[in-house]
Amino acid sequence: MAISMHESVDLGRPGETPPPGAAKRRSPWLGQHMGTALIAAAGGFALGHWAGNAIAGNYENVAGSGQNNVATVLALSFGVLGWLIGSGALNYPLAKLVGKEPAPEIEEVGWGRYFRFTLDHKVVGMQYIIAVLLFLFTGGLLAMAIRTELLSPTTHYFGPGTYIAVVSEHGTVMMMMATSVITGPIAGWLIPLMIGSRRMAFPRVEAFSFWMFTAGYLVILTALPFGGFPTGWTGYAPLQTQAAGGMDSYLVGFAVVGIGMITAGFNIIATIINYRAPGMTWSRLPIFIWSLLAVASLLALATPTLVTGGLFGILDRTAQTAFFVNEHGGSSFLWENLFWFFGHPEVYIMALPGFGIVGEILPVFTGKPLFGYRVGAAGMLGVALLSFFVWQHHLFQSGINPDMRPLFMLTTELISIPTGFIYLTGMGTLWKAKIRFEVPMLFALALYFNFLIGGITGVFLSDVPVNVTVHGSFFVLAHFHYTIMGGLIFAFFGGLYYWLPKMTGKTLNKTLSLVHFWMMFIFFNLTFFPLFIVGLLGQPRRVFEYAQRLQGLNDFSSISAYLLGASFLVFTANFAWSLWIDPKPAPANPWGSRGLEWQTPTPVPFNNFERIPVILADPYHYGEENPLPVADLGVPVGAGVGSGGSGGSGPSGISGTTLIEGGPGDV
Amino acid sequence: MGRGARLGIFSSLLAVAVGLVVFVSMAFLRSEPPTIDFAAGHTAGQPVDMTLQTVGAIGYGAHSTWVSYLTKAPNGKWVHTTLWDLPANTRINVTLYEYDGGSPLRNPQIGAVYGTLGNVEILNGKPVSLIDATQGNGVAHTFSVPTLGINVPLYAVDGNAKNFCNVPAPCPLSTAHNVIQFSFVTPKAAGQYPWQCFVPCGLGYLYGNGGPMQTISYMDGFLKVVS
Repeated sequence: MAISMHESVDLGRPGETPPPGAAKRRSPWLGQHMGTALIAAAGGFALGHWAGNAIAGNYENVAGSGQNNVATVLALSFGVLGWLIGSGALNYPLAKLVGKEPAPEIEEVGWGRYFRFTLDHKVVGMQYIIAVLLFLFTGGLLAMAIRTELLSPTTHYFGPGTYIAVVSEHGTVMMMMATSVITGPIAGWLIPLMIGSRRMAFPRVEAFSFWMFTAGYLVILTALPFGGFPTGWTGYAPLQTQAAGGMDSYLVGFAVVGIGMITAGFNIIATIINYRAPGMTWSRLPIFIWSLLAVASLLALATPTLVTGGLFGILDRTAQTAFFVNEHGGSSFLWENLFWFFGHPEVYIMALPGFGIVGEILPVFTGKPLFGYRVGAAGMLGVALLSFFVWQHHLFQSGINPDMRPLFMLTTELISIPTGFIYLTGMGTLWKAKIRFEVPMLFALALYFNFLIGGITGVFLSDVPVNVTVHGSFFVLAHFHYTIMGGLIFAFFGGLYYWLPKMTGKTLNKTLSLVHFWMMFIFFNLTFFPLFIVGLLGQPRRVFEYAQRLQGLNDFSSISAYLLGASFLVFTANFAWSLWIDPKPAPANPWGSRGLEWQTPTPVPFNNFERIPVILADPYHYGEENPLPVADLGVPVGAGVGSGGSGGSGPSGISGTTLIEGGPGDV
Repeated sequence: MGRGARLGIFSSLLAVAVGLVVFVSMAFLRSEPPTIDFAAGHTAGQPVDMTLQTVGAIGYGAHSTWVSYLTKAPNGKWVHTTLWDLPANTRINVTLYEYDGGSPLRNPQIGAVYGTLGNVEILNGKPVSLIDATQGNGVAHTFSVPTLGINVPLYAVDGNAKNFCNVPAPCPLSTAHNVIQFSFVTPKAAGQYPWQCFVPCGLGYLYGNGGPMQTISYMDGFLKVVS
């Protein structure tokens, strides 16, 4: 294992005088930041649009249709480039390109750093949190619009074209967000702290991933003004090839987010493999880190097919190639395969980190070791591996050779085995436990409840006869909302409630947190469970009309959805109230966790650890009389801790910190 | 900054966000062409007369090259819309001026007339129940209401005619055109019933199904039946 025991060469330390040639600390509003990024993006957009019109304005198909996809694609691409240049994301490679040695970065302080390209993984993590919440609320508002339209089968709030555009935008925004909702914010913040590192392997790449992610958000938002796209989040050809300009936003946006996902994946893999502290053996790796290793492998291996497929689609729409045009030698079926070769691993990209988070939460609030740790980790790797062999179950009704159906039915059913490993890890930890029903634990328990429903209906859906019957119906929609929202989003909020005191040093209001949880849990189930029924009764997805007899259930679902949306407003109010309007300092280790991340001072120093820690044990020795300390941090007991003291004993009397002097020889 | 000031800033930002959402929802996503009201002042039991035209290119606006329908409002003015308020359970008499060129049909079934009174249309004064699109000028467009089982093929004009309409819509009667008349009865139940053209006529789009074929006020729209 390659371990850096020294400061990284280009990350300064707080309070230090910058070396000669180093960048001086600037006012947050001078230099490059999100504002300059927006200006440069707007300039790039205008330049690209002009170039596209100059190049293709006289093309026969452009003149005939009045729709210039070349101009749209160039505008979006140049806009993204401007966003990166304006934010400073390209300063380092551009300086290297012209033979200059870039100035070392120094620690940024104050609010301004959250609007800048920064190398501190904790700042990037907080940037990601706000960004994914923005994604989530945008997608959520579009969901409200969908449910409003479905209040009546015959009286319409939107036109049919607008409705499918809203559905497509909702699906794409949510899926883009969901790919990064944990791997970006929570993982980016926590990985170095949980493995005993001072930073990610490639800090610039991590920050680049974030700025690509936000660029993708801006790009996909342009889809609606460009006329939307009618394909849903799957972007099937030939609709893809003939759709309005919003389709260009979909293809460019997914490619941009995809590049960010790939770079994030490689960065996470490199960090986990190479930057573990001494003694952080594979068997001591937190289960959340195992889940991220599995997910990062999927990000790195599956996402390139999406980006490549998107590039083919862009070429079909601009350069008149025919990758997905059947009559001209291409195949629309090719897109389906390329998309789902990414798309199904994507499902596990979303699910696995959620299980990783609850795997961290359960032992803390049950006061028990994580049951079947190795089985759980093996399950995560097993799911990741098998996820590459199931994608064609999405095509049972879409052109697959019928003789291939049993094979993919079998592989899909097989994946329930490692999934079961992960699930049983949680159930075993809960078995006969004295549970502390704190807010993070409630979210973790809700995940298991929701995912049970989503998982079992998934087993049904993997069977060809059932799949053929309910394909394209609200039953499928309810299934994947139960797994993604019921699993991932509940885990995300559980993780936020669990780690925000560490991240911010502030305590979230418990009453508002409980109101948020119960509203979200109850109205999530009341929104989506009826949709299983309307799906079985034949209501198709993506269609704004439905049978009159299904109006009652749809109205019930819509009203529940409004209240589900209101639960997020409660969270927003809690977030703003507790962190900014009326902040209350959090105890250093409010839950009594043994996790290494909780052993650092709050706020966590720029370089995380005074000295690289030596790991002595895994973090799950809860309920033991004299548990082995988790790590030797190399500082005297009580030193180096911030607000709230050293953490000390948690509510369950567990020794929360391990500040015992020791050396590698003790490991 | 005090707690009150922070609360004020947060509330203001929230109000701006809510306002923005309402604006986007109402002003942008819900924007649609005007609806021509044929139901106002309608006397029960009396038919409603409606006049339409189809043109090869609308000739103005953001999509000047797109093929389109137009509707004559009760005040005699041509309006670029495909949304109509119609009284329920009422006979609608349609007179349609077709100014566009045509082609053979990919699906000959679309050449059949059904769902109208008598399952016929009157083409230039002669009753027709089926148009053979392989003959003559072919079929330009259809007026089809799937949920009501209505399909009316529109026989095309000669695309090479000297007086082919090449001016911005509406096309004048002095240019080449066919006159198609038919009648149908609106359903008893109020609601919005989509209609559209089933001939792929989106020039410049793959298979002809993009652009105007997917856009209200061009080749699809709604019968907004009111009781």
